[in-house]
Amino acid sequence: MRRLSRRQKFAAAILAVLAAAFLTLDVGGSGLSSAHGGVRGALGALYRGTDSVVGPARRFLQALPHAAGDQNRIRQLQHDNAVLRGSLRAEALDRATAARVAQLRLTARRLGASVVPARVIALGPGGGFDWTVTIAAGRADGVRADATVTDGSGLVGRVLHADRSTSTVLLAADPGSGVGARDARNGQVGVVTGRGTDGFAFVPLDPQASIRTGDLLLTGPSRASSFVDNLAIGTVTAVRTSGGTVRANVTPAVSPTSLDLVGVFRAPAPAQALGGR
Amino acid sequence: MTRTRFLAGLTALLTVLLLQATLIAPLALSVPASLPAVLVAAVALVDGPGTGVSLGFATGLLADLGSSHPAGVLALCWMAVGLGCGALAGRAALPRDVVVCAAAAACSSVASLLLLSAVHAVGGSAGGTVRDLLPAFLADLVLALVAVPVVRWFLRNPSLRLERTRLPVLRGHSR
Repeated sequence: MRRLSRRQKFAAAILAVLAAAFLTLDVGGSGLSSAHGGVRGALGALYRGTDSVVGPARRFLQALPHAAGDQNRIRQLQHDNAVLRGSLRAEALDRATAARVAQLRLTARRLGASVVPARVIALGPGGGFDWTVTIAAGRADGVRADATVTDGSGLVGRVLHADRSTSTVLLAADPGSGVGARDARNGQVGVVTGRGTDGFAFVPLDPQASIRTGDLLLTGPSRASSFVDNLAIGTVTAVRTSGGTVRANVTPAVSPTSLDLVGVFRAPAPAQALGGR
Repeated sequence: MTRTRFLAGLTALLTVLLLQATLIAPLALSVPASLPAVLVAAVALVDGPGTGVSLGFATGLLADLGSSHPAGVLALCWMAVGLGCGALAGRAALPRDVVVCAAAAACSSVASLLLLSAVHAVGGSAGGTVRDLLPAFLADLVLALVAVPVVRWFLRNPSLRLERTRLPVLRGHSR
């Protein structure tokens, strides 16, 4: 066993007394606060420098025990994230649907009627026609045959027949469909027939009628059509005259291939169809 | 003391304090592992109580002043580590030195916590602090496994070796 020399014992005693004196002074709360501050400041700068070097290694070591748990947490968060994104998308869809429903109701109110909102659930030939859609509303919802169908901005078609909870709608774009129409500019009436994806064709009853490109066609005239009045059908894009007959190409106000939410008028106008099968 | 020994001691002291604050303490979480105490013990086990006491006091006082607790607590505890381990200095095997180092460091950590709670009314109960002894010993054992061989290697370097006064050998003349 190695012992301290006499001089070392004296020095150790001095150091011990010094440490005890520091302790007493500091506990008493006087004198050493500036020394504390100075050393802390100097060491603090060194700590920051050292931490920039050893920090990454420390963080890596600290993360090791949680590696498996972190993977599970990441998976859980990814799942939660997907659910939340789905909720956000659903909320956006709900907002869009609410806007469409509001637009449908506004259109119905403008025309003095009420509508039954319904989603399009199928598209395809039906009832002997090429262009029909099935909507998720039927007799139980107040849908009746021949009722006019709109998407809020224009004419979609009319109800061919209504089951209890679904209905088949003949689209105005079907080549077999005919709609009584009126030129909003000069009031000339005629018949609009569907041409599938090519839009409509409009033939005025008066062969001498003045039809111009850009004319807006509306359903009507009032009480002379099975359709609700004043719904936009489309806009004239080209006018041809052949053999004394005027014929116009019409771009539809509603795309027949992008239907989602539609409204069925509850009180169709008195039937006096100008066209339609 | 040579200038080289002084600079080496100062460098070692600052290095262990920085490593303690930025690496060991955050990784050890609630276990009171102490690299400076291990260093003081390792140096004292090679160089003896004189070096151990002075290094323990200097390191402890610097650590005290750099912390928020009253100065003198760690200085006293690490001086005791230097004194105790210095008394055991010799040409012992590495495993014994590692165990002694870890034990001394763990005891000093617990003692400093007890002293702090006595003078400054901080820390947990005395029973809880004493229960930290075994985890502290195990953590210090890991530190000592690295620190003791490094310290022994450095202090065997001729430029850092402690110069001891050699007494002249008196040879008798047989008749």
